[in-house]
Amino acid sequence: MMSRKSLLIMRNECWRRVTSRTFILTTLLGPALLVGLLALVIIGVSSSIGDEFGGKNESLRIAIIDKTGVLGDQMIRENDGNHVLFHFDGDHDSAVEDAVSSRMDAFILIPETIISGTGQPVLYSFQDRGFRVQLELAGIIERSLKDHLLLEANVTDDIRAILDRSVGLDFALTGYEDAQSTANSSLDVDATTDDVGIVMMGTILALMMYMTILIYGTLIMYGVIEERSTRVVEIIVSSVRPIDLMMGKVLGIGLVGLIQMLTWLLIIIGGLVFASPIVGLFVDPAMVDASSQEVLSSIDLILSELSIQLVMAIVVYFIGGYLMYGGLLAAVGSMVDSPQDAQTLLIPVIIPIMAPMMFLSVILLSPNGAISMGLSLFPLTSPVTMAVRLAIGSVPVWQLLISLASLIVSVFGAIWVSAQIYRSSILMYGKKPSLKTVFTYLKTC
Amino acid sequence: MGSLVLRDVTKRFGQITAASDISLRADSGRILGLLGPNGAGKTTVIRIIANILTADEGSVTLNEHEVGAWSQEQMGYLPEERGLYKKIKVQDQLRYLAQLKGMPRMEAMDQIQYWLDRLGIEKWGARKVQDLSKGMQQKVQFIATILAHPKLIILDEPFSGLDPVNSELLCDIIAELKENGRIILLASHRMDQVEKLCDDICLIAKGKILLSGDLREVKRRFKREKLALEYTGSLRLLDELEKKGTIQYLERSEDGCILHLSDGCHPRDLLEQLLLVDGLELFRFELLQPTLNEIFIQTVGDS
Repeated sequence: MMSRKSLLIMRNECWRRVTSRTFILTTLLGPALLVGLLALVIIGVSSSIGDEFGGKNESLRIAIIDKTGVLGDQMIRENDGNHVLFHFDGDHDSAVEDAVSSRMDAFILIPETIISGTGQPVLYSFQDRGFRVQLELAGIIERSLKDHLLLEANVTDDIRAILDRSVGLDFALTGYEDAQSTANSSLDVDATTDDVGIVMMGTILALMMYMTILIYGTLIMYGVIEERSTRVVEIIVSSVRPIDLMMGKVLGIGLVGLIQMLTWLLIIIGGLVFASPIVGLFVDPAMVDASSQEVLSSIDLILSELSIQLVMAIVVYFIGGYLMYGGLLAAVGSMVDSPQDAQTLLIPVIIPIMAPMMFLSVILLSPNGAISMGLSLFPLTSPVTMAVRLAIGSVPVWQLLISLASLIVSVFGAIWVSAQIYRSSILMYGKKPSLKTVFTYLKTC
Repeated sequence: MGSLVLRDVTKRFGQITAASDISLRADSGRILGLLGPNGAGKTTVIRIIANILTADEGSVTLNEHEVGAWSQEQMGYLPEERGLYKKIKVQDQLRYLAQLKGMPRMEAMDQIQYWLDRLGIEKWGARKVQDLSKGMQQKVQFIATILAHPKLIILDEPFSGLDPVNSELLCDIIAELKENGRIILLASHRMDQVEKLCDDICLIAKGKILLSGDLREVKRRFKREKLALEYTGSLRLLDELEKKGTIQYLERSEDGCILHLSDGCHPRDLLEQLLLVDGLELFRFELLQPTLNEIFIQTVGDS
């Protein structure tokens, strides 16, 4: 139960921060920068979409030195019109001369051995033409070669169609009961989970939790250092218990974070709505609409993956993680006289926050693997890891229970330990912080 | 009548004993001066009283109840290391600190205005602390200490950074608070101020009490070795005594002197001898009380 004084400290911490000029500026400029960046991305995506469909792409004049005598014509037929392909009867050296005199931008040498599968065509150019051009031309050559070989083998169109068929694989999460109920019926299409949405949601969630815990946790640490360095802390702890001060600070700054994020969310949504017409000034409005549609459908995709239970579980892990790290970072702040002095003590606290981010791809690819399981059971890494696992797939109940229990115990443990360190160290000035000092403080409690 | 009582309070930090068997009593309507050289353990004792630190042994009671979170609302503490939030307005800061002491918001606002007026900084209420001079910050800190009507007021070096006029103003307010029945604990190195304000003293060195009690009694306990004389006429007798080493001149003028009496010289014997001197008219023969400063130096020196 929070004390009246903790509430008062929380209110004061929150109020004095949200009314500061720095907060107002960062809250307003942060999303402006983000929206600006997003607009740039949309412009970039739009122009690349434009390139894709031959709108504003660079069209190259590419000569074909065809040693096979058959693939050149086929390639010119297969060309989708993006580049100009033409035969060149000379050899490599004369082609180079022509390229120097700008009669061509590049040339492809198709060796005779390509038919037997031993030779490899080469694209020559004075400039780097980019991977996309290379891929486009490789596609043309591959299709031409395939056509030629199938024709040589007298393959009929029916067999060609069979060869061209491709099969995708959808993925659906289902329990035993679901399996029973769906055994007699075809799998409902809506029940399938879209892997793109899952990966997006997992990544965004991990990033958000990681950033929030780190940014606002560090803010708590700086707040404690400020109170120590201005010596105001002695007056405060003569009025309140250190644990009340610490909790008030942790929760007050948490509230600041919440206000800032909600404001950002509103500004970003508003920005997305109003950014389209502005971006439309630079690129084709149809492209912008397509990009905005992409963004909106992605948001829709993410929202469709969320359930109330999932949101609640994520909130529990988020609050647990924030309180645990907020307390630990407050304790770090209570032991140092300046942010520079905090570096040594920060390392053991920051590494567990970063661990799930370092293993994010492993967690996303194998959410029930050993690493994912280990990280989601260990309380210092469980908030981010378990939230991601829950968001992207099913987690066995026993793991969830162990993880939650260890997190709850750890939150109280971390707050208790932090409060003891805070209480012992808050009035000790001029001591160089080290892990040894931490143990000394804990021993004297 | 309220009181603060410490019984055999001991506090250790690892191998160091910062306070050892400290017992003292401060009563309402009186001021207790807590004296001691730097590093004597005064701040540790004060922090234990303020419930910032916990004593390893012994007890601290305020009005016969063990101090704890409850007593923090009953006390105002002005620490030696001053501290205020630099970027917060004076009145907002004072209101916050008063509210932490349990004072209702509206009452705090009224009191803030009263004390800002009283200390002559009413125009600075809406300014940030960083805009204030050191002396003004000191006044703000003092207001923060007494704002919430504390029963116990702890003032650690309250006059540092203040000019004589403002020191006098603070002295008057402290005396007024004493008259209002507050228990006041004053730690200072300014012996003149302590002597002027305190009713009781407690001298600590190396974590132990060297001397404590009613200031007048403490002074009486100290041997009066100084003698002030005023007279007309010749006093060759004193010159002879000085040559013998019985007395020593500390100050000398045409019509008087201040003497230090050695151990073998009793004031009554000296007076009898002086009264027998022909042509000497003696106007003053006074055994001087030692000053607090002298008591401090002597006691700490001896320890």
